[in-house]
Formats: sequence, structure tokens, C-alpha cells
Amino acid sequence: MNFLKTTTFLVAAALASPLAAQQEGGRLDIVVQPEPPGLMLGLVQNGPTQLVAGDIYEGLLRYDTDLNPMPGLAESWEISDDGLTYTFKLQEGVKWHDGEDFTADDVVFSADTFLRETHARLRASLAYVDTITAVDPLTVEFKLKEPFGPFISVFEAATMPMIPKHIYEGTDYATNEANATPIGTGPFKFNEWEKGSFIHLVKNEDYYVDGLPYLDEVYYRVIPDAASRAVAFETGEVDVLPGGSVENWDIPRLAEMEGVCTTGKGWEFFAPHAWMWLNNREGPTSNEKFRQAIMYAMDREFMKDVVWNGFGNVATGPVSSKTNFYSDDVTIYDHNPDKAKELLEEMGYDGEPVRLLPLPYGETWQRWAEAVRQNLTEVGINVEIDSTDVAGWNEKTANWDYDMAFTYLYQYGDPALGVSRNYTADRIEKGSPWNNVEGYENPSLDEKWAKAATLVKPEERQAAYDEIQKEIVDDVPVAWMMELEFPTIYRCNVKDLVTTAIGVNDGPRNAWIEE
Amino acid sequence: MWKRFSSNIGAMVGVVLLLAVIVIAVIAPMLYPGGPWQMVQRPFLPPFAQDAYPFGTDTLGRNVAAQLAYGAQVSLLVGLVSTLVALLIGVPLGALAGFYGGMVDEGAMRFTEFFQTIPNFALAIVLVAIFQPNLTSIILAIAIVSWPPVARLVRAEVMSVRKREFVDAATLAGLSKPRILVTQVLPNTVSPIIVMASLMVATAILLESSLSFLGLGDPNAMSWGYMIGAARTVIRSAWWLSFFPGVAIIITVLALNLIGEGLNDALNPHLSRKGRA
Amino acid sequence: MDILIAILSRVAKAAVTLLAIAVLNFFLLHAAPGDPAVVLAGEAGAADEQMIAQLRERFGLDQPFYLQLGKYVWGIVQFDLGYSFRQGMPVSQLIAERLPATLLLTMTAFFISLGLGIWLGVAASARVGKASDSLLTTLALLFYATPLYWAALMAVLVFSVWLGWLPAFGFETVGADYTGMARILDIGRHLVLPAMTLGLFFMAVYMRMTRASMLEVSQLDFVKTAKAKGLGGAAIRRRHILRNAILPVVTLAGLQAGQLVGGAVLTETVFAWPGIGRLMFESLAARDYNTILGVFIVSAAMVILFNVITDIVYRIVDPRIGARA
Repeated sequence: MNFLKTTTFLVAAALASPLAAQQEGGRLDIVVQPEPPGLMLGLVQNGPTQLVAGDIYEGLLRYDTDLNPMPGLAESWEISDDGLTYTFKLQEGVKWHDGEDFTADDVVFSADTFLRETHARLRASLAYVDTITAVDPLTVEFKLKEPFGPFISVFEAATMPMIPKHIYEGTDYATNEANATPIGTGPFKFNEWEKGSFIHLVKNEDYYVDGLPYLDEVYYRVIPDAASRAVAFETGEVDVLPGGSVENWDIPRLAEMEGVCTTGKGWEFFAPHAWMWLNNREGPTSNEKFRQAIMYAMDREFMKDVVWNGFGNVATGPVSSKTNFYSDDVTIYDHNPDKAKELLEEMGYDGEPVRLLPLPYGETWQRWAEAVRQNLTEVGINVEIDSTDVAGWNEKTANWDYDMAFTYLYQYGDPALGVSRNYTADRIEKGSPWNNVEGYENPSLDEKWAKAATLVKPEERQAAYDEIQKEIVDDVPVAWMMELEFPTIYRCNVKDLVTTAIGVNDGPRNAWIEE
Repeated sequence: MWKRFSSNIGAMVGVVLLLAVIVIAVIAPMLYPGGPWQMVQRPFLPPFAQDAYPFGTDTLGRNVAAQLAYGAQVSLLVGLVSTLVALLIGVPLGALAGFYGGMVDEGAMRFTEFFQTIPNFALAIVLVAIFQPNLTSIILAIAIVSWPPVARLVRAEVMSVRKREFVDAATLAGLSKPRILVTQVLPNTVSPIIVMASLMVATAILLESSLSFLGLGDPNAMSWGYMIGAARTVIRSAWWLSFFPGVAIIITVLALNLIGEGLNDALNPHLSRKGRA
Repeated sequence: MDILIAILSRVAKAAVTLLAIAVLNFFLLHAAPGDPAVVLAGEAGAADEQMIAQLRERFGLDQPFYLQLGKYVWGIVQFDLGYSFRQGMPVSQLIAERLPATLLLTMTAFFISLGLGIWLGVAASARVGKASDSLLTTLALLFYATPLYWAALMAVLVFSVWLGWLPAFGFETVGADYTGMARILDIGRHLVLPAMTLGLFFMAVYMRMTRASMLEVSQLDFVKTAKAKGLGGAAIRRRHILRNAILPVVTLAGLQAGQLVGGAVLTETVFAWPGIGRLMFESLAARDYNTILGVFIVSAAMVILFNVITDIVYRIVDPRIGARA
């Protein structure tokens, strides 16, 4: 048995925040965009829901900005040497917002019953799990069928949220009345949701960490228009603009205002990675040379500077540099229109038009697609932008009805959780826009991806992923664009807002306002 | 008739403005052979800063002047074609209803009423979203929401013309009913239709720009509404990006309204102005 | 008795129309590419076939089309607008939450534009040929040609950003917890810009109509008679001309008032006004069928309702019409 000394984390946490400094009280106004479809984190896990419900629900672990696990609802944990048994010791005295005790039974119910049914992303990881048992009221044991390297990364709040067994057991989860008034263990309790305007959370007086939270209340404000959100921040109506809530062009202006701070941190767990799906099945994009030509034709540095206002990095391959096991030892595609034209000539491209599907997430993405179209037009590729809304985009990508389609996905800290799903042949399934949508098939790489996930030692995994990255970048199964950065903009008197790898999602827990 | 029209100052102003817009639309490819999407200068170049770019550049460094010129093409095209389509639906329906009366009238008017009860703009949005935004779907959507007033107008006109003596004379002469409708009755309803059509083109241009503004424009055709929608998020730092296309829309729509009014005064000097707007 | 029958037949006709609208839109929406289950699954950040199948089952999308339609229509007949799976609540409740905001906005815009339009129209008609008349008519022509959303943007730029007089968006100051008069004033301040931009176009329409109508009526015989009887200009305008001239304006306004409710999408979007227009637009992208259909039915019902109100007002205003069945 290999015991992790969790005390070191507690000491480090204590040192990082001098005790006397924090001030109690106050209210925080945070923008949420778009309005979440629901707040029951076990049923809905889209971005806005995670942002709000991250204060209500909690996971067993939290993660620092280097993706190291920290205590959450579990006060300590141990992993057996063979990598097959994970044992969690729960915090004492944790209560649900309705006053019931939180126990190991809740953990078993959440992971084994509720989320297995409702949470597609977790389900893929739970496939490695043999049994989940409550050893005693404060101890839970996960036994795996085979080692799964990234398993320690799946206990984040939105990945494995803890669900109250006493409310949901034996009910129809989707229509349970309690979904409208979510009950969690988190530092804030749900108070009111005025649809179309705001969601109001209030301090959980019985929170199990003494002294937390400092804030009295948090308002999540729904403002559907990006320009209005910027104005709301300027006029002081809101204090925090989470990443992506204003257009990039507005960021420098807002950041220059007095008393305004920005940070790019708090996205490490997600490491949003943007690329264009290239349909590997048919049309010009099924030709490797054509795909390489696209990479050379694009001036991605220009796009980063102009479309993204300098935020983020040009992507080198499938893995983000913020994610574990990244490698930069790969072929670099710089802006080289001549090379692109050469490749097009070699393959004998005849001007067949290709359709480009932008991501319908606002002006930035539309401009990005226009810039790509212009770049590709310049080397002689005939591009038409296919316009669509969110539903249409989902349908077209999920059913492979596209030639090139923008997307960006989260990586969840580990290639086995958030990267391999887009490249292995077993993840070619119609109906989902999040798997191997491009239809890339490479059996020898498939084996390597599978093996890399089950290795236990980090060095071995790094070596395995280095090899994979080098090989796949030459094939260009998709056109990697950028590692996105979504800076959080906030008033400087809001302290300790972004301290974890999921940033503002669980930020209000430790945040406080300096008078 | 031309005399009455040309003595109307407002109408002549309208004609001049509209001609200017048409000319710009036609020579746009000659003025800006690179097209409206080409990135030519640094982004956010303010207007009048460089002679080559009198209206500045947009968020990607594209020439706003070129975008305005190409935008004229789309506005005029959509305005004209969608009005034609609306006439193609409204005129026959209204004519049949007014001419035959009875059950035909009842049915046609129920159908028209039905379309007038559905919220117009909302229906247009749904139609464009469903058929996916492109010029064809936009034109169709606009036509579908704007034909009912045409049908009503034509019906009323046909009903009044039908009772006149020359129609009776034609019937006595042995002409068939459809023939009478097409050769005798309809030509007498042309002038109010023309007046209405000129105003409909104006409305259609406004509708197209509203749809584009909401992001339901054709992404491969530069349009004024699209420019304003795209510039909305940067209105604080780059006012000119939404200001100039707005002015372009106002000028064009104003010109068409002035012409429509002039036509109305010239063609139907006795007709009151009610029922319009 | 006749009136009762008239009302009943009107209600029946309205019900049939609404049902037809529901069915037509049901067809349209289901013909659209895009599947609410895929959208919802997609938003979860991950989706697999199992999840999508679950969602489809929950939405009832796995059933044959005619069954879905039948169920929906059966629900409508019982005044049940269905359930919004995206928002997790009954559609009727969702609309009930949003409708007051839309009504407040559109009715304010409507009455201001109608009042101002008629007043300015009368004023202009009394000064035909003078400079003030030309100015008013020119302004009306300009407003008439101005895209509503553009006017909204410019108003925000001037009154919120540059001058800082009025809030740029929203329904009220969130969390201020105003009550009573303070709250009404707060909402009022938020209402100014959206109502103004929404009303501008219509004010222009009503002004032009009133002016034209006033001029026309003043040419009629009975006005000349009144003048011959020695009645003064102002008295004639008030008593005779206005009463007759206002009829077409009221009719048109009534017909448009209903359309306003569904047509406030643009204003609500620019000003982040929490009304049903915005609700519909947002639901469209998610293919939240029941919500979109619900908004359509409610807006169409508004159109019909306002047509009836117009009819009643018409009878009151029009001196000639007694009891038309």
C-alpha cells in the first residue's frame, strides 16, 4: 500500500493563505452565458451548468492548477501499487443542504447507480471499474478491472458529482422535482432562479470547512448579448466575466480599466483545444495531401493575433501543452502557401468545392471561419461557408455531413480522457459530435492509444504518448488550430477567485472581497 | 403621369438615391476586384484615416467600403426577388378570390387570414433556420411572410373592377371567365400593385437586414445587416462598423419609400393614402 | 343572443386557427435538421448512443411522427402546451414567467407610439406646407426607413455609453431588492430605451397615417358644412375631423399590436429583455420544439385577441357604426 500524504496539501494550502487577511461577507456578481438548461449537475454538464452548479455540488477531489489532486469531499485517498484499488476517506460532519448526513452510501449511489445511467463521459471511465463499495460510513473503495492511468483525474465535481441518495433513489431522475431546487454539499445553497435574468445562491452556513465560504451570496447573471455583458462589467453591475463571456476584441479594453485584473489560469483541467474536423471519408479532405495543404495554407499566427487577440497558442498536435503527456517533438506546420499549392498540385486538386461549417458560438468563431476561408481561397481551394445554428451544427457533425467543421473540446487533464476519443477507430459512431467524427482509422495507433491508457508509471506513459503524437501529426486527421485561452476578467478586490484547475467553477468557495 | 411623378421632389430624390445604390452595386466588382472578404489592412482602421479606406476596416482588416458596395448587391437582389415571389403568390390568390367570390373567396381569405395571424417575423426566423440560412431560404421566407397584404389588395381591386361595364361587355362578347380575368380585369389593377411592390421591396430589405443581424444571413454573401450584426460586439471601440451600413440601409429604404409615394400620387391621384404603411 | 352566437363563432374560429398554426409549425420544426436530443447530449460535453437514446425516449422522439403530433394536439386541446426538456419545466409556466415582460415592453411602445403618432400627425396636418410640417414628415420618413435594431444600437451608444443616462439592458437592477415605487421607477428606467426604439418605427407609421387621414377628412362635405356653420378651426379638428380620421389609424394599430408581441425578438435580444421573443429565438437553436410552438401559439392568440379588441374600439370610436353583428 502506498499512502499519499495528504497533510502536505493541507499545510501548503494553509501557508498559501495567511489566516487573518480574508474578510467575510459581500456579494459576487458573475456572468453566466448562455443560461444553463438546468442546475442538476448529475444530469446536465454543459459549461454554464458547471459554472453555477460547481458551487452547489462537489466531487471527492479538487485539482490545483498543475492538475495535482487536492482534498474535496474526500479528506485523503490511497492507490494500491498495482493501480487497481482506490480508497477514499471522506470528510467528517458533511451535510447535504437539506440537513441530511453525507455518507459513503451517497458516493456509491452517485458513482455506481445514478451517474452510470446519466453521465456519458464518466461512463467511459467507469467501464474500467469492477466494484464500488462502502467499507464504512466514511470510507469508499473503487476496485478496477485493469489499471487505468488517468483514473485519479475523474473525481472532479462535474465529472463525478456527489448526488444525494435520499432524494433520488428509486425515482425517475430526469423528472424528479428536486432538480429545480438542487441539493448538494457545496459552499453555496440554491436560493432562487429568475429565468432569463439571474440565479441566486446563498452561503451554506453549515459548510464543513470552518470559516468557508467568505461570501454571503453569489448572483449568476444572464445577459444574452456579448456587448451588453461588457457594458455590465464596465458599469460595475457584474464583478466577474468568466472566460468566453465577452468577445475577444473587448478584453484589452476591459483589462486596461482601473482596478481590473485578468488571469488565464483556471482552465487547466479543460485545456480547450480547437481544430477543424476534416472528413476523412470522402471528398478532397479524404486525401492526406489535401489535409496537409490546409495546414500549410493557414496563417494560424495571424488568426491567433487578430481573431483571438493574441490569447492562446497555436496548437502543434492533438494534445494541449497544458494537458499531461504533451510532446512538441512533431512536424511543425507553419504558414507556407507555396508548399500548400505544391501539395494541391501533387494530388491533382480540381477545384471541387469544400464546405466549411463554423462553430455557431458567436462572432469570434464566425470571423475565424471567414479568415480560414480567405486563407484557403488564396491557395486555390474553393470554400463555401455552411451556415447553421447550434442544433444544425450538432446534427451535421454527428452525422458526418460536412467537409470541414470547427470544434473545440476539453481534454480533462489526460490524453486517455479527452484526446484519444477523437482518433481511435472504436470511437467512430454516428450520432455524437464528440468522438472520432473525422473517421480516421489507424489500427497500429489504436493499439498504442489503448496501451498508453493502461500503463501505470508516468514515465512509461509519457514515452508512449510521445510516439503517438509524432506519428499522428504527419497524418493530419484533423486540422489542429489553437490551444484556446479564455481569460477570466474580474475586479482586483476579488481575491482567491481562481485557485484550481477548474477556475471560477469552484472559485467562490475560497473567494473573498477586500473592502 | 411621368409629369406628375417628376414634379414630385421627394420622388425624384428617391430616384437619384436609388440609382446611386444600383450603380454602386453594379460596379462593385470593378471597384473592388478582391471581393468584400479580403483582408487588406490592419484591423480596426478608423474611417478617413487612409484615403484608400474611407470607411475604415473591420475586425479582420477588411475594407468596409468594399463591404458596403457588395452589400448593396445583396440588399437589392433580396428585396427585388422576394417581392416578385410574394407577388407571384399574392396576385393569383387575390385575383381568384375577388373574381370568383363565394367559396373560392372564402377559402382564399381564410388562408390569407391564417398567415396574417402567425407572427410574421418569428415565422421568418423559423423558416430561415429550418432551411438553413442562404439567399434562397431568405428570399422564400420573406416572400412567405409578405404576400398576404398583396392578396388582400388585389382581391379588393378585382372586386371593384369586376362590377364595371366593360367586364359585362366582355362577358356578352362571349369571352371565357379566365380570359376576362387575365385580359380585362387584372390590367386595371396594375397601378396599385406597382405602388405596393415598391414599398414591399423596401420592407424586404429591412427584413433581410434584420435576419442577417440575428446571424441568419447567407454567410457567403456580404450584406448590410450582417455587417451590423458582426459589429455589434465592437460597437464601443469601432462605432463606424455599425454606423455606415445602417446609413446605407436607411438611404436605400428611404429612396424606395419616396419612389413608392411618388408613384402612388402619380398613378392613383384619387386614391386615399389609407391602407398603406 | 345574436351577440353570444357572434362571440362563440369568433372563439371557435380562433381556436381552429390556433390549432392549425400549431400543426403547421409542428411540421415545420420537425422537418428542420437538428435533433433536440443530440443538442442536449452535446451540451453535456460528451454524448454516446446510449445517452442520446435515453434522451429521445424521454422526449418522446422515438415514437412515430403521427403519434407525437397527435399527443401534442391532444395536449393543446386541453390547454397543455407540453414540457420543455431543455429548461426542465412546463412550457406554460415558462411562458407565464416571460410574457409579462414582453407585454410591458410592447404595450408601452404601442401606446406611446400611437399617442405620439396621432398627436404629431394632427399637429402636422394643422400646419400643412409650413416648415414644421416638412420637418415632421421628413423625420417620420427617416424613422420609417431605419432598421429597428440599428436604432437600438445607436440609442445604447448615445444614451448609455456616452451620456450614461439610462441602463443599456436588462429588466431591472438585479439584487437591488427595490420594492414599491422604487422598483417601478427602476423598471421604468430600464424600459425607456427598448420601448423607445421599438416604438419609433410605429410612431412614424401612425403619424403619417394620421396626417394623411386628417387632410383627407377635412376635404369632406360635412367638415365644410361645419365651417359654414361658423365653427372655429380647433373645434372642428377636435370634434369632427379627428374622430373620423382616427379610424383607419386605430384599425391598423390594432392589427399591428398583436404582431408586436411576436415581433419583439430583435429589441429583446439587443436589450437583454427577458421576454418571450428572446425565449423563442434561444429555444430555436436548441430545437426545444414545445417551447417554440408554445410561443407561436401564445403570440398568435395575442394577434387574435387584439383583432377583437380593435373591433370593439372601432365600434366605440366610429360614430356611424351602431351594433354591427
